[in-house]
Amino acid sequence: MKSISLYVDRESFVHDVDPITKLIYILFAILVPIILPSFTVSFICVGISLLLILAAGVFRKTLPIFGFVFLVLITVVIIQGLFRPENETVLFQIGPFAMYQEGLHYALKITLRVVNIVGAFMILVLTTKPSHLVESLVRKGMSPRIGYVIVSVFQIIPEMMASMSTITDAQRSRGMETEGNLLVRIKAFLPLLGPVVLGSLINTKERAMALEVRGFNSRTPKTYLNVEKTYAYSKGIQALLLLLIVGAVAWRIFL
Amino acid sequence: MKKIIAQGLKYKYPLAETLALNDISFEVEAGEFIGVIGKNSAGKSTLCQAMVGLVPHFYKGAYGGKVLVDGLEVKQHSIADLSLKVGMVFQNPFTQVTGSKMTVYEEIAFGLENIGLPRDEMLKRIDEVLKLLKIEHVKDHNPFDLSGGQLQRMAIAGIIAMKPEILVLDEPTSQLDPAGSDEVFRAIHELSQQGFTVIMAEHKMEKVAQYCNRVLLLDEGKVAAFDTPEKIFSRDDLESYGVTAPVYTRVCRALGVKNAGTDCYPVTLEDAEMALRGVIK
Ligand SMILES: Nc1ncnc2c1ncn2[C@@H]1O[C@H](COP(=O)(O)OP(=O)(O)OP(=O)(O)O)[C@@H](O)[C@H]1O
Ligand SMILES: [Mg+2]
Repeated sequence: MKSISLYVDRESFVHDVDPITKLIYILFAILVPIILPSFTVSFICVGISLLLILAAGVFRKTLPIFGFVFLVLITVVIIQGLFRPENETVLFQIGPFAMYQEGLHYALKITLRVVNIVGAFMILVLTTKPSHLVESLVRKGMSPRIGYVIVSVFQIIPEMMASMSTITDAQRSRGMETEGNLLVRIKAFLPLLGPVVLGSLINTKERAMALEVRGFNSRTPKTYLNVEKTYAYSKGIQALLLLLIVGAVAWRIFL
Repeated sequence: MKKIIAQGLKYKYPLAETLALNDISFEVEAGEFIGVIGKNSAGKSTLCQAMVGLVPHFYKGAYGGKVLVDGLEVKQHSIADLSLKVGMVFQNPFTQVTGSKMTVYEEIAFGLENIGLPRDEMLKRIDEVLKLLKIEHVKDHNPFDLSGGQLQRMAIAGIIAMKPEILVLDEPTSQLDPAGSDEVFRAIHELSQQGFTVIMAEHKMEKVAQYCNRVLLLDEGKVAAFDTPEKIFSRDDLESYGVTAPVYTRVCRALGVKNAGTDCYPVTLEDAEMALRGVIK
């Protein structure tokens, strides 16, 4: 079955680490470069994320995402390099346009920060099953209902897309044009919305009832089929990351 | 022992003009297999939902009289509490998939997690129901990859695992092909033999005649009759309730052949064969 999750099933220590630790790592990767805004710190953080992505064996999967991110960032670099108000020192000249050092400097800072955040999130998204992440959060006290909604969206959207393509096929077999220019496609798409959306709405009521009779709103504390996967060093890693964040704050304040 | 007691049950959906259930009273003994029949909109689904607490807790609306399932009064207990006594299976196998689990095995665990069953007990029960409904071989498949018949059996398994003693089924095979439909009926029959009390709303009268001990005929929210399949399907006024008797009954009625020593027409293939052979001899 198609899935909209980006999870890559591999064996690696990064995969073994529990989702909560990965979430704390994201926090770490976002906060530390903000608290200590030096290039060295940012580079170190990006470096760590890259190493973890490589260790998890999911580097190739990150390329399209980084590619998209860089596409956006290039415009930032150009605009800041050319037009940032603080621009003074001309670095080099392209035709009639001058690139300034201040702007590029600033653009580099933004780039590093974005790459850093995207990288940290990618570690979580590519090496953790969505259901596993949500289950960890529910164990930590998130409402099981919110958890259910999040996880089911990952499954039900591909289902909706499948029923969409079934209907498209049916219509194409009756001679409806479904391919071609944008207008043709939109014309083919609109009549789909009725059955698919209406169908989903009716289904929602039935599904809600089916959940009810399976004790979904039971007040008894939930138990879990899956044994909570605990990574031997996760407590240590979590403590270290939090310590580093606190350390960064202290460094910023006292030095 | 009485498993279900309904006394003067009345129910009106919110915003509805008329009563969907109008003064319904009946009693069901432990282990019985009850068929609920009647024309469209007679109130079959509503009655089924009144057994598990969806009526009135899920819809709200106006409610009168009372229903006791296994000693619990439906109105006074939550749907979750009732789910330990009575389980319900719906028409559409797809809408009963939670959509939050990746495998059939996990899917069956859903209800058990909700009621807080310890993990060891969970594993034991899941293996049991997988075997009971003959879906062991697909236990690691994604639910959405199953056939309709398998899906519906998975839905039943998910309910049975919660160990209710009463099983309510609302047209459980109406959306299945003949093969899937047979699989499901066979599974339900087996559960009935194992001692489950079964309530099944159904349009396929041959199946009702084949499996049910007694049949509840509903008409416009009222109980029109509650009797054995033979008595119900031998009624002369059956058509006026929008019900067509099993094909065997109609053939025998046309031929004027009744079950030996009774005033009723045969309702199953076996009975019809026996009665007809008796005539030929
Ligand atoms: N959610 C609802 N809100 C308002 N009225 C409803 C609702 N569901 C059913 N009804 C009405 O209640 C009455 C009984 O409906 P019910 O679905 O129980 O009939 P049924 O015997 O199951 O019919 P079918 O054979 O079509 O399944 C009908 O008049 C119907 O219009
Ligand atoms: Mg119905």
